[in-house]
Amino acid sequence: MADTTTEIPKHDVIIVGAGPAALTAAIYTTREDIETLLFERGVVGGLAAVTDKIDNYPGFPDGVEGLTLAQDLQKQAERFGAVIELGEITAIHDEGEYKRIESTSGDMHARAVLIATGSDYKKIGVPGEQEFYARGVHYCATCDGAFYREKKLVVVGGGNSAVQEAIFLTRFASHIDLLVRSTIKASDVLQQELQEYVDKGKITIHLNTTTDLIEGEDKFVTKVTGTKDGKKIEFDVDGVFVFVGLEPNSEFVKNSAVLLDEIGFVTTNQDLMTAIPGVFACGDIRSGATMQIASAAGEGATAALKIREYLEGRAHPIQN
Amino acid sequence: MVKNITIFTTNTCAYCQMVKKYLGAKGHTYEEVNLDEHPHRQAEATRLSGAMTTPVTIVTREDDSQEVIVGYNLAKLAPAVA
Repeated sequence: MADTTTEIPKHDVIIVGAGPAALTAAIYTTREDIETLLFERGVVGGLAAVTDKIDNYPGFPDGVEGLTLAQDLQKQAERFGAVIELGEITAIHDEGEYKRIESTSGDMHARAVLIATGSDYKKIGVPGEQEFYARGVHYCATCDGAFYREKKLVVVGGGNSAVQEAIFLTRFASHIDLLVRSTIKASDVLQQELQEYVDKGKITIHLNTTTDLIEGEDKFVTKVTGTKDGKKIEFDVDGVFVFVGLEPNSEFVKNSAVLLDEIGFVTTNQDLMTAIPGVFACGDIRSGATMQIASAAGEGATAALKIREYLEGRAHPIQN
Repeated sequence: MVKNITIFTTNTCAYCQMVKKYLGAKGHTYEEVNLDEHPHRQAEATRLSGAMTTPVTIVTREDDSQEVIVGYNLAKLAPAVA
């Protein structure tokens, strides 16, 4: 077989993704003079960057805007020499000492790879959701909320993201119906804040309510139909924002030796190493992750230290 | 050849920052229409893009033909401004 290592660029570490886990890992690797290239196909900062306000990241007593946190993490990583390339990794191949990475910028080799691609908001999978995407159906309140000044909205979901973004959207919308399939799972602090908006008449909560159908006229959403206590319930609204959980961005490793759990998250050993020696995973993409930005940053730091051990030949045996 | 570029943005839109960053890195100048500051231009953004979202990037070429890129979509943005 031809020695392709002489033909394509070589890197010490390639990090797939540029969210909080990836950027934290890059801060650690580059501070140790380990050359590090990050690839981001979406937004630097990941889901954190499109979150209005983050209240539970340590060190920010008054909370921090997601976009600000993302930009500061990027600056910090770049200050130590991390390079962020805008593009997409499409496959990872285990070729021994070097892993071959296929990307939109061509093939590359890396001594170690960190998968930190995070997750995206899940779709609800009802009729009309795809048809009216970006024309009344949205997954990013900070991007699209401004189009709904003095309009009526439905927000779907009952977790932290749904409640946080529903509260954010009250700065634009005249009224929001919050459709929650079972009960509200958001933190107590968020629930208390939510209650303030309920008391003001800005948000109405509908528990045990499924979202079944999204309809529209002239290409834009006009109505959402759900089911509450076995009865059909209709909402005449201008838009729907969906926050019903997360799905892993792991499509690009499905045909590799990296193992995934039944949902599609990447499985690792205690050292955050995947089934391919030298390929690590951390943050929201990792099976068992807690889906918290603080945890992601912590895992990024851990992954960087484990990568250093691996590069120095001190890695522990794989124990998947 | 690109004649001019207009981006419709909002203050809180992270994807808008990515479009601006990409165009800046490629040496392009652009006009930014911030819809938080100019909400009366939302209808224009929706009419041009057919969507209620930001960013919307309008690339006008020397022959006055236009390409509209909705969202942060490098696969469309990169060739449009190449």
